[in-house]
Order: sequence, then structure tokens, then C-alpha cells
Amino acid sequence: MTTGNTPPAVRLEGITKRFGDVVANDHVDFTLEAGSIHALLGENGSGKTTLMSVLYGLYDQDEGEIYIDGEPQTFDTPRDAMDAGVGMIHQHFQLVEPMTVLQNVILGHEPVTNDFGFVDEEAAREEIEAISTRYGFEVGDHLDVPIRDLDLGTRQRVEIVKSLYRGAEILVLDEPTAVLTPQEVDRLMEVMEDLRADGRSLIFISHKLDEALTIADDITVLRGGTAVGTVPASETTEQELAQMMVGREVLFDRKPRETTPGAPILEVDGLRVTGDRGLEKVSEVELSVREGEIFGIAGVQGNGQTELIEALTGLRTPDSGAVRFGGEEITEMTRRDRTEAGIAYIPEDRHTEGLVMEYDLVRNGLLGNQTIAPFVKNGFIDWEVVRDHTEEIIDEFDVQPPDADNKASSLSGGNQQKFIVGREIGHDPAVLIASHPTRGVDIGSIEFIHNRLIELRDQGLAIVVVSSKLEEIQKLSDRIAVMYEGEFIDTVDPNAVTEEEIGLLMAGQRLDETDAAETDSGVQT
Amino acid sequence: MMDRVAGRMLEATVLERLGIALASITTAILVGLLAVTASGYNPVLFLNNLIVGSIGSERVLARTLRLSTFFVLTGVAVAIAFRAGVFNIGVQGQFIVGGICCTMSILWAAPLLPNGTVGGIVLMLLGTVAAAIGGGLYGALPGVLKAYADANEIITTIMLNFIAIGVVSWLITNPFRAEGATNVRTESLPDNVGLPPIVFGDSGFSVIGLALTLVLVAVVAVVMTRTRSGYDMVTSGYQASAAVYSGVDAKRTIVTTMTFSGAVAGIASALYVIMFQGNFIEPASIHTYGYDAIAVSLLAANNPVGVIPAGLLFGGLNSSGSYIQTYSDVPVQLIDGIVGLVIVFVAAPELFRMAAKRTGLGGDDE
Repeated sequence: MTTGNTPPAVRLEGITKRFGDVVANDHVDFTLEAGSIHALLGENGSGKTTLMSVLYGLYDQDEGEIYIDGEPQTFDTPRDAMDAGVGMIHQHFQLVEPMTVLQNVILGHEPVTNDFGFVDEEAAREEIEAISTRYGFEVGDHLDVPIRDLDLGTRQRVEIVKSLYRGAEILVLDEPTAVLTPQEVDRLMEVMEDLRADGRSLIFISHKLDEALTIADDITVLRGGTAVGTVPASETTEQELAQMMVGREVLFDRKPRETTPGAPILEVDGLRVTGDRGLEKVSEVELSVREGEIFGIAGVQGNGQTELIEALTGLRTPDSGAVRFGGEEITEMTRRDRTEAGIAYIPEDRHTEGLVMEYDLVRNGLLGNQTIAPFVKNGFIDWEVVRDHTEEIIDEFDVQPPDADNKASSLSGGNQQKFIVGREIGHDPAVLIASHPTRGVDIGSIEFIHNRLIELRDQGLAIVVVSSKLEEIQKLSDRIAVMYEGEFIDTVDPNAVTEEEIGLLMAGQRLDETDAAETDSGVQT
Repeated sequence: MMDRVAGRMLEATVLERLGIALASITTAILVGLLAVTASGYNPVLFLNNLIVGSIGSERVLARTLRLSTFFVLTGVAVAIAFRAGVFNIGVQGQFIVGGICCTMSILWAAPLLPNGTVGGIVLMLLGTVAAAIGGGLYGALPGVLKAYADANEIITTIMLNFIAIGVVSWLITNPFRAEGATNVRTESLPDNVGLPPIVFGDSGFSVIGLALTLVLVAVVAVVMTRTRSGYDMVTSGYQASAAVYSGVDAKRTIVTTMTFSGAVAGIASALYVIMFQGNFIEPASIHTYGYDAIAVSLLAANNPVGVIPAGLLFGGLNSSGSYIQTYSDVPVQLIDGIVGLVIVFVAAPELFRMAAKRTGLGGDDE
């Protein structure tokens, strides 16, 4: 990638960033060669996002230098970074949902017609369409559609267009695949390759080893705020990277189970559920989960999994059909009553649902338990009991740092998730519904959470796992249902199918005639 | 940049906020003194009047404390709603409705009860309960509209303030008007209704009223921090989606919050009627406690206990305002200006904090 005298696109030298006593980055060196893709790997809390925030002018570094194209730079604000050609695609999109694609792209960089300062929408339109066409984005067709009506993959492309529109030569993508389906991930990879072919330089932040190996030219691994090492992608393996990230060996394999499932405990018949926009998102779903079984639901996000889970947990009322728990009909039961009856729920989004970010862990420890004795008696909260319980969770689930008085927002994603898992299974539920239990979680915590789920299953808990990560679904599940456009298009045995086969089912096979029509043998059971 | 400023403000600790509050008050008064000087008045005399007019004698101290109790109680009413993320701007309306309910229930029930102290206590309890119910229901109304019809509570509560003034004004001008009274007011409460001043003379202030105020603040603080309903409300205020996830019925919590807030506003009015006014007057001429209460609550960072010093500050400033108006030629508008400055310096940052939270800016780093 390096050509003789082209200076590197980005060179970070000895970047140190402290938050109070916490050292988020400790003398990190990082070099992005011009025209290459450099993956930044690390567990959550390893300092990837902090390092990139320093590069993007969101934080001031305490020590160290930033060089762009060989020139030393100081970025006080993201605007300075943008002016130097650095663009960032954040993990949580920075888009104004009620505004259109066009308005979002030009926001803050509106082209002006004349002295009166009117926005020249036509000029912007042409330019955005040109960018979209160049990279084969369909964004150009949606210019007047409000962001809130677009799916996550398209929103991400809007973000990319926004950066390109602002003249970014260096693009930082912060965990861009976290919210995407496998097919969308492939599209993104193509886009990244096109961008590289165009001479742009990309930093790809991830904790997914396979993606880094596929797309990147070089890989730098961060652990605990320090750069553990930089290796060319062609000269390393998943095992080696995992070891660098975690600092010890990691096992990926599926262990054969030794216990057998019991009686059905959670059953669903003919369930129909309407989503937020008035469309039917779940159509005639049937399922039955047994005690001591993990029932996996795979599928591309947005195919009704969220609505199905909400109907199971009591957050959404189905239009028709029945949900039964231990033989008793609970279709109309509230979330509160279901919690008390023993249906625990690890929510899809820990930032908005699973935790109150402004609360310390003690107050978060009560979340969902606020009607349950001994935490609450006669309407009064016994904070001492809640604190003891919280400390037990922290201890048992290895939540770092182990301090119940820390705010939830100060914990890394993996530790937040471990805390939620601990809290939800803390009061001995009969059914656990886990929606994306390891989304955005580092490898060490994924392993921990997976092992706990399997242990619980072996103790007789019925578990429903929804995930868009195939590897996770395959590793955990005893049976896998693939959800497509509101229906279970198939239920398969994880030992009898390949990831590719599930992937095709997730893509709805029937629609994708050219690729999938011939390959469905052995998948349909 | 915006994100960073917002994040910083969201993270301010209690102690930092207290420091900010004190610095802001000092700055506001200093700027006020500059304005006084620039207008050609003596700033030293003004500062002296400011102090003498709020704590300089038993009489003004009683007035300060009396005003403070009203600011504290209405401030707590606002704080309850703001804590729960519901913007109840209708405390003034709930105060007025509570007050008329209190007055009329006492006037109607008085003939049925003995004249002595026992009868008086029963009447006062009745009036307070009536005020709480009236204020509570008048708060529940916009709560229901928000929860079940998606009507913005800021708009509905403001409009209901005007409706309360209009309707109550009509009521006391027509069916409820005292016979032969020269000004517009209801009949006076019977003699056995009222709180004995004990320490201070006949000043419309009673130590019992102050004690009851503090008890009510303590009750609200306990409800908000140590009960399940309070946890549900505060959690809804911090993060509505997390509250729903935890099994809180969001719609019902909005109605509960508004009812609770309105009931406290009603009780504030019961104290106003029983301890101070002795009848109910044209509602448009009642001081805008319910609006000032928003500033009091913001000044206290919507903390029910913090409302006590904030309410005392407002009581003191208002008391000084009356004093300066009477005993010096400095226009009372300057006092209002200083109150305004305090709000800008102290409450505005808190307002930005809340706005930042509502729009999701700041504090979101992993």
C-alpha cells in the first residue's frame, strides 16, 4: 500500500487521553497508510472510540500529536477535523430523523445561491446524486424521504454520503457492521473497497475478527487503552487476533449438550402483531419453547423479531393469536405481571431500555424489580437490600469496575450487558427472552454471557435468543427458527445446516431467485 | 462542541450545582446593583433595603416566610412533574382551582359543624382535602390528554391556566360573591378556620404553616426517592423507554404524576387560603406563584428538598420588593429585574440541562 514518498494519511503519535483517573488511551501510536483500509480492533472499553474521538476533534488529547498527510494538526472541534478531510461515521448515527436525506446531508454545509443566502438545493441535489451514482448507492433515489423512514443500512449510507459530500478523504467508520445484516455487511465491504480504489483512506473500527481480516490491509489491536500491535491482515489469523484482543486463548467451538429439554413452557399460536407504522410485522407465528432449551430466532433485522419479542414480553398487544406460559394464556398480561410470573427479558437496546444511563448501578439494579419483595415492600423500596443484590450481580458477573455507585453510562458496553444479564436472571425466572444478548459486546464478555446462558439452559431454563449474528445463533441454539417478513420460514437443527444455508433463508430465498432457488435442498425440513 | 458543553452540564454534581447557584445569585445581585447605580440610585442603600426588607424585622421576616411557604409548595409541585419528565406549567391553574375548592367546601360545610376549635380543624382538613382533590383533578386533565390523546402538556397546561382564571373569576363575581362586598371576593371563612401565628403577630403567617410545608416537602422527597411509585415516576423522567421496559405503565404514570403535582399545588393553595387570605379573591390578582414556581424548581434542579432554599430566596426577594416599593423611590421593576437575573443565571443552565437531555445531546459516550 505504501508508495515511496506518500506520507501516511493519518499518523497518531503517543496519544494519551485520561478521564479523571481512567487512562482511556495510553501512548497509542497508529498509522493509516494513504489509500488503505486499517482495522482498529479491540474489546469494548479498550479505547478504540476514544482514540478516534481524539482524531475527530471530539476530545482533546492530554499528550501526543496528530499528523494528517504528514502535516501536524490540532483539532479543537469536529469542524476542524472535517476541514482537514477527516470524516466519521458514528456507531449511533448522527442524523436528524424527521428531516429528509437531502437536508441531513447538507446540514451545516449548505450551498448558497447568491448574496441573499438561500440554500441552493438543486446544486446539492446534483452533487449528492453524483456521489450516490459513483458508489452505487440508492441514496440518490431517497433524497426527499425523511430519515426515520429508512432502514439502518440505508441510513448508514446516508452518513457515508454526508462525509463524502463534505470532502472527506479519510473516513473513520465506528463499528459500522454492528447494526447490519450479513447481506448489508457485504454491501458495505464493497463500498469500502470502492472508496479505497478511489484513493481514500479508511479506518474501520470493529471487534469482529472475520470482518477485519476480510476487508483490512492492516490491523491494529487495542487492549486496555494501549496498542498491543499492528499486523498485516494477510499474515495473521482469527485465533492470533482474538488472543491479542483478550490477552488469553479464546474457544469458539460449540460444545455438545448433555441434558435433554423438558416440557413446553412458552407457546405461541397464530400470532399476528402490528408494528409502529400500522403494518403487520408478525404473521401467523407458532412456536413452542421447552424447559432446558435454547430456541434461536435468526433473521435480518426488521423482519418482525422486535415485534414478536414485544408480544412475548408484554410490551405490545397482538392483534390475534395466543401466547401461553406454563399452559396459561397470557396474551393480554402486562409486562409487569409477566415479570412477576417469571418471564425475564434482556432487551435489544441496553442504552435506552436495559439501563437508565444516569442512574448508578444500585438504582439500575431495581429496574424491573420494583414490585418484587424483598426489594420493595408495601410500596416502599429497601435500598439496602437492592444494594446487596446489586453487589452480588457485580461480583457474580464480573462487572468492571466493581463499584455499585458508578453510573451506568460510565461502564463499557460489555460490562453494561453483563450487568443486565445478571439482573434479569437474578430472580430465578422460568423463561428468559434475550434479544441480541451480545450486540456491541467484546469477545471476552460474549464468551462469558454465552457460557452463562448455556449453564442456565442446563439448569432447566427456557431461553429464546434473537440475534442477527449467525455464529451466535448457531453456537447457542438447540433449534433455530428463521424469521422472514413476519413469518418463520423454517425451523432448522443447528447441527445440520451451514451458516450459508441459514443466511439464504434469512434472505428469504423465495425472493432471491437467481442465487437461492437452486440451493435450498437440505435446508427445508 | 454542543455535545461537549451539554455533556459537561449533565455531569455537574450536586455540590457543583450548589456552587453554581450561589455564584449565580451573587452575580445576579452584583449586576442588579450596577443597574441600580446606573439608574441613579444609591446601591448601598438598595442593598441595605434588600436585606432589611426581607429579614430586617419580625414583620418583614413573617412576610418573607409566608411568601416562601407558597413558593416552596408550588415549587415542589413543579419539581414532581419535572422530575418525572412531564412539563407541568399549569401549577397556577391547579393552585386557583384548589383554592376555590378549599374555600367553598369550608363555607358550605361550616354551618353543619360546631363553632369551636374541633370544628375548625375538621373544616381545615376538609378544605385541604378538597383543595388536593380539586388541584389533583385539574392536573390529571392535561395528564390524561397527554397520555391518551398525545396533547402536548406544555400547551394544554398553559391554556388550562387561563381557563381556571376565567371560570373562577366568573364564579366569584356571580354565584359565589360575598353579599354586600365592595370588591370581588367570596364570603370570608368562619373565625374558627385559620392557623394561629404563635411566634409572629397577626401577619398572615403561622409557624404551623411553615412546619406543615416542611412536612409536605419531606413526604414528597420520601415518595420520590423511597417508594416504588416515585421510582417509576423518576425513571420515566430520566429515560421513558427504560421505564416501560421495566414494566411501568407509561400512560398511567403520566396521569399519576400530573395528579400528584396538581394535588400539591392544591394544598399550597389551601395554605394560602386558610393561613393568609381568609377568603378567595379575583384569581387574576393572585400573585403568580405557579409560574414563579417553575423558576424555583429549576433553581433547585427539580430536587424537592432543594426547593426549600430556592423558595426562601424567592420569598426574600419578593418581600424585599414590597419593602423597597414602599420605603424607597427605587422602582419595584428593578427588584423584578434582579429576580429575572437570578433566573437567567441559575435556572437557565438547569433548563438547558433538561433540554439537552430531552434532545439526547451529551453524556452518551461509551
